[in-house]
Amino acid sequence: MKKALTLALGILTSVGGFFDVGNIATCTQAGARFRFQLIWSMVLATILAIFLIEMSGRFAAVTKKALPDTIREHFGFTFWLVPFIVLTLIHILVLAAEIGGICFALHLVTGLPLQAFALPVAVLVWLFLWRATFSTIENSTSALGLITLCFVVATIWHHPPVHDVLRGALPSLPQDHASNYWFIAVSIIGAVIAPFMFYFYSSGAVEDEWDPSYIPVNRAVSVIGMGFGSIISIAAIIVAGIVLAPRGIQVDDYHQAALMLTSAFPYWGYVLFAVSMGIACLGAACEVALSMSYTFAQTFGWNWGENLNPAEDARFSLVYTASLLLGAMFTLVGIDPLKLTLITMALSAAALPFVAIPMLLLMNDRHLLRDAANGFISNLAAAVIVVITIVLAIVSIPLAFIGGS
Amino acid sequence: MHERVEVMRDLLDKQLVDADDTKMGRVDGIVLEIDGDKQPRIDHLELGFIVLARRLGPRVEKWFEAIRKRWSVRKSARQIVPWSKVLDVTAHEIKIDVKAMDTPAFDWERWMRDRVIDKIPGSGDDD
Repeated sequence: MKKALTLALGILTSVGGFFDVGNIATCTQAGARFRFQLIWSMVLATILAIFLIEMSGRFAAVTKKALPDTIREHFGFTFWLVPFIVLTLIHILVLAAEIGGICFALHLVTGLPLQAFALPVAVLVWLFLWRATFSTIENSTSALGLITLCFVVATIWHHPPVHDVLRGALPSLPQDHASNYWFIAVSIIGAVIAPFMFYFYSSGAVEDEWDPSYIPVNRAVSVIGMGFGSIISIAAIIVAGIVLAPRGIQVDDYHQAALMLTSAFPYWGYVLFAVSMGIACLGAACEVALSMSYTFAQTFGWNWGENLNPAEDARFSLVYTASLLLGAMFTLVGIDPLKLTLITMALSAAALPFVAIPMLLLMNDRHLLRDAANGFISNLAAAVIVVITIVLAIVSIPLAFIGGS
Repeated sequence: MHERVEVMRDLLDKQLVDADDTKMGRVDGIVLEIDGDKQPRIDHLELGFIVLARRLGPRVEKWFEAIRKRWSVRKSARQIVPWSKVLDVTAHEIKIDVKAMDTPAFDWERWMRDRVIDKIPGSGDDD
């Protein structure tokens, strides 16, 4: 029974970690400018994410330890320090983008300026983390996250040309706007394979007390959870491709993105978009803020756990509190949430080798994992992932400058 | 305990837990005692930001020392765990015979809890 419930962890990770502000931004841009042509990038990113999530869950189930914990223990503090600092900075930017997304959703519904919501949103997320246990957060966000299925409903309602959609699932070269095409392709991968997802997922597995008997459950969670997130994201690309592209609407601002559901749901379109975006970003904001706490606590060996009372792990609680305040500052000073999101996704793609390489080394350590270490297929995937992440790291930042607008 | 322990692999950077299994930091440094011609032996384990700073370089250590003198709530810069307090070294953690709450390792934790966390409603100490 408990194992059936753990599927919820996968769904939370996919709704929060997979379909979040980064996906909304990159998918609507992809659809609006290139129709279905960039679906392949989402498919590729999903396959990579399934392998990486499966590995981080398997690792936690066998060793009963989360990734940041083991990386410091195994490679030493001096090795871990640089990735730790880089990922901390990126996590703050991601958190800022998610908070910006929630604020935008509220702005869309109420018409009040974004800045007005920055601090109330930070306090709301904080209150949720402060009072709730891990399973409450997990189950409530995954249940609420089902609202994002409205993108799938809209896709079906529009009767997309199946042949064109399938052709988009295969990589192709752009006819024009080449640098923008590659920038969005890279940003999609950066948005899907978010570093915090792996730290969150493996720490969550430790919180849920997984043991090696969870390996099959973990495999199912990875495929179903990531698949679920991916279908919603592909649906968002398709709807943007059908609704925005023919009208020549470019997404320079989340307001344009919000138009995409209004054809399928004339009356409720705006509200559905706002609610989906708000909930997806809320789930992700919880995950990112918790990941910050997990990473800090594990790096320095503090007591940690979302199931403890804040008084029992004061430093753990203080890290997410401070992160949320910092993250809210970006919206408060008036930084455009869409631009912030796109830049963050490119930086996040650039930081992926820091996540992928230590993880893949650990996955081959038979001293730690014994017979659950990576087999041939996982290692083949691992090698491909490392090569792709290194290429992404090299191209993503230059592309952000050439193709970012 | 009669088994091979590799200092770098099995001790350094490992999680420390106290007698009640409370996580209380990591092994930030290991100090050997070399006494004349005698076999070197592990004297104690060290914990603390200053120990980590020294691993990064003497200049970083000096900066941290300056910051610490000004701001720190810790009574001492580093906490020392004599090897005699080590109860068990497992693949996961090192268990030591102390109470985390009574050690300098928890100075910050205690300070945060008393000054910040407990002041916020719903932190759980009162329920």
